Amino acid sequence: MTNYRSSFKRPHPLINVSNWHPNTRQIANAIVIFCSVMLCLLSLPTRLPGMELLGLGPNWLLIWVVAWSVKRSAFSGAIAGLTLGLIQDGMTAPYPTHAISLACAGILTAFLKKERYVEEDFISVALIVFGMAIVAETVLALQFMTVSDRNLAEIWTDHQRIALCSAILSSLWAPVVYYPLNLWWEKINLLDQS
Amino acid sequence: MYTLRRWWDRNWLQLGLVGLVISAAWIAKQTQGAAIFEIYQLVTRPFQSNPPKQEVLADAKTLELQVRLEEIQSQNQKLRELLGYVSANQTKGIVAPVVGRSADHWWQQVTLGRGSQAGIKEGYIVTSPGGLVGRVISVTKNSSRVLLISDASSRVGITISRSRYMGIMRGQSGDKATVQFFERVPDVRKGDAIATSSVSELFPSGLPVGRVESVNLSQSPAPEAVIVLSAPTSYLEWVVVYPSN
Repeated sequence: MTNYRSSFKRPHPLINVSNWHPNTRQIANAIVIFCSVMLCLLSLPTRLPGMELLGLGPNWLLIWVVAWSVKRSAFSGAIAGLTLGLIQDGMTAPYPTHAISLACAGILTAFLKKERYVEEDFISVALIVFGMAIVAETVLALQFMTVSDRNLAEIWTDHQRIALCSAILSSLWAPVVYYPLNLWWEKINLLDQS
Repeated sequence: MYTLRRWWDRNWLQLGLVGLVISAAWIAKQTQGAAIFEIYQLVTRPFQSNPPKQEVLADAKTLELQVRLEEIQSQNQKLRELLGYVSANQTKGIVAPVVGRSADHWWQQVTLGRGSQAGIKEGYIVTSPGGLVGRVISVTKNSSRVLLISDASSRVGITISRSRYMGIMRGQSGDKATVQFFERVPDVRKGDAIATSSVSELFPSGLPVGRVESVNLSQSPAPEAVIVLSAPTSYLEWVVVYPSN
């Protein structure tokens, strides 16, 4: 612990995470994950002024899944998408399921980073969120085509409107979720490796 | 066997966590996210608005129309009594604030800030100034979720108030809906008032729904009309919940 401290400049003097026991850090990490997911879930039904376009809000869960999968494996991206998708199903309607679309977004995001197509800053994360929002809504639209009794033409006109609004809003609000979570996970990773 | 054991020793915690997380999500799905909506209702309680002043009713024209309507309703009541028609006893509605919209983009739902504690049950009818709004699809202790009639999956049996022709209304996004008629050539015109039909099982008859905006009689397989909903489904703040028949 001591030699590590001398070699590493502490990033923030207020909360000194580096002094914590690794197990405490793990628990803190779990709490951060739980609370951030909870915040995203609770902001889903709200439509605050400035967060609304044609009656639609940002897709907070998608932003969270992208922020999670950017530096993780495709498997953990899929698990995150599946979990949040199941919860969102509970909050809206089970068929068609959101789990598939969010899991697709998680897997694709993880692959994107592996290939190093884009740098890791929040402009590119906003771009990834933009693309993933369109992917996720398209997967949902395809499911609607197969399982629901909705009119085919209506699904695709709805899809255009929803995908575009969701993509614009989600990418605009992505840094709000991505920036603090990314800072925290970077710090934790650095400490775990040292 | 040994490698399996070693793999297990290394990964049991991760596997267990993944199992735990997925089962928690599964429970959230099976309970319709009840816990989340309860917390949402608790968190947003300080921000929920008070009942709006009766400014709308101050409008003289509205008052006049209301008086006329009451007059006609009481006349109707008397005539029914004369005919020996046993009317269902009038129940008082439950006033509920709208605290949230749909949690995703494909469904037109709203969350109300009253639940089973206030007497709301699944299947109850939701109205607002302007007419029918939707139907309660799930209830928790202090919140309930409403599927709006503007949702593409909701179906309402309707009738044209003037000519009594019937059809089925299907929601479109926003404040529009499409009606498919049962007859080949229905008597319907632009501007006709639409109300719920008396053969509808989910909704009580005679609730105002909207007005016809355009008619397309050549539509196949059935003639269609586009209607504008009279209730402002996009700007709901307070609604009244009634028991279904």
